[in-house]
Amino acid sequence: MKKILQITLGIITSVGGFLEIGSVTTAAQAGALFGFQLLWAIALGTICLIFLVEMSGRLAAVSKHTIVDAMRERFGFPFFFFVLIGMVLVAFLVLIAELGGIGFALQILSGLGFPLWALPVSLVVWLMMWKGTFSLIENGASLLGLVTISFAVAAWKLNPDWSSVGASLLPTLPEQDKVKYGYLAVSILGASISPYLMYFYSSGAIEDEWDRSYIAMNRVIAGFGMTLGGVLSICVLIVAAIALRPKGVQVDTFPQAALLMTTALPRWGFYLFAFSMLFACFGAALEISLAIAYFFAQGFNWNWSENLEPSKNARFAFVYTIIILVSAVPLMLHVDPIRVTMLAMALTSATLPLAIVPFLFLMNDPIYLGKYRNGWITNSVVGIVVLISFVLAIISIPLQIFGG
Amino acid sequence: MAAKLLPIGLLISALACKPPSASEQMDSAVSWVGTAGMAGEAWLRHASPDKYTRQTLELSHKSLIDIGTSLLKSLPAGIDSATVDSALARSSTHIALMAQLVEQKNSPDFRTLLDSLYADERVVKQLADSVEAKEQ
Repeated sequence: MKKILQITLGIITSVGGFLEIGSVTTAAQAGALFGFQLLWAIALGTICLIFLVEMSGRLAAVSKHTIVDAMRERFGFPFFFFVLIGMVLVAFLVLIAELGGIGFALQILSGLGFPLWALPVSLVVWLMMWKGTFSLIENGASLLGLVTISFAVAAWKLNPDWSSVGASLLPTLPEQDKVKYGYLAVSILGASISPYLMYFYSSGAIEDEWDRSYIAMNRVIAGFGMTLGGVLSICVLIVAAIALRPKGVQVDTFPQAALLMTTALPRWGFYLFAFSMLFACFGAALEISLAIAYFFAQGFNWNWSENLEPSKNARFAFVYTIIILVSAVPLMLHVDPIRVTMLAMALTSATLPLAIVPFLFLMNDPIYLGKYRNGWITNSVVGIVVLISFVLAIISIPLQIFGG
Repeated sequence: MAAKLLPIGLLISALACKPPSASEQMDSAVSWVGTAGMAGEAWLRHASPDKYTRQTLELSHKSLIDIGTSLLKSLPAGIDSATVDSALARSSTHIALMAQLVEQKNSPDFRTLLDSLYADERVVKQLADSVEAKEQ
């Protein structure tokens, strides 16, 4: 009975915590510009994420190591340090974007500009980290994020042509704007396959003291939770394709994104969008701050646990304190969070091999996994998706930048 | 090393600063007129806050003026710049007036202006299609 409750809670938190500024912005831009045509990218990214999250939990449950612990131990500190720089830089950009998302949600609700919200929002996130426990952060924020289910209601009410939706799960090239299409595909893949989620999930499994008896539960949570989360991303794209595209409205700024659900849900769509972004970005900001602190603490072999008092793991608390406060600075200087989001998501795709390839080596190492190591299906799916993301990123990012 | 990288850096900067094409700017204009229309509809239904609506309308107005200024320099041959200029100016004027009416909470006049904006929207869309066809 306890396991069933844990599975249910795990799936609910996966769904509630799935959407964040990256997945919403990239899916909305894709729907507004290309209709259903980029649905395949969300589906592909979600499939890859299911495998990666399952792998992260399995590594922790079997080996009692987080990904970072095992990576440092297996490949040595110099290699780990190289990965750390890449991952932390990208995660830092994503954190700026999430804090910006909270600020923007508050801006459209209150009328006060997001730069004014940057510092108060950062302080609230920091306070939650300082005072909260792991389960509060994992479950509390994700439960609030369940308001994002309103995207599914909106998509359902718009009554899309489901055969076109199904057909778009196979990739096709557009007749025009191929560079923008490629760049959006890369950004969607980056938003779906967020490496910080793997670090957060494997650290969470250690915090929750998982053992081998959790392997089946881990599989169910990763499979159902991430699939339902991916469906929500697909719904965002569907809503944008039906509500914004016919009017030619692009999602270049947050006030434009705020209109996403006003066609499907005329009375409450605006407020549901604002609260969806507020809670989704808040949950994601907590998870990323925690993932960065885990990365440093586990990499440098410091004490770490969100369940300990900050005085018992001072360096761990110091990292998230600094990173949260520094992330507020660009927002106070009016840096546009939507631009940061798109850049962060594309860079996530470009740096995926750095995060995933060493992880694949670990997952095939009998010393860590024994008989639970990866099979060829898992290796092939993850390897192929990472390769596609990387190649698309290498081609489309320079073209997008050079094309202005 | 720095001397070798400098020309590459300058080239990247020059390319990165490449202005958007006329059809991209027209698409952006369509997007802002559409944004103003959707924001206006939501406000009339009392489904969005006054401040958000006013700020979004002001942002649309400003964006259309900026687009108009840079677009007229880059229109392809065969497109009458006066027609484009007047369509964008008319839309941005209507949007600016709508922002004022939000401040005054004047829904009836707002409705009238919104209907005019829909007419503007159709014209701007047709012009965007023409510009795109000329550029191809």
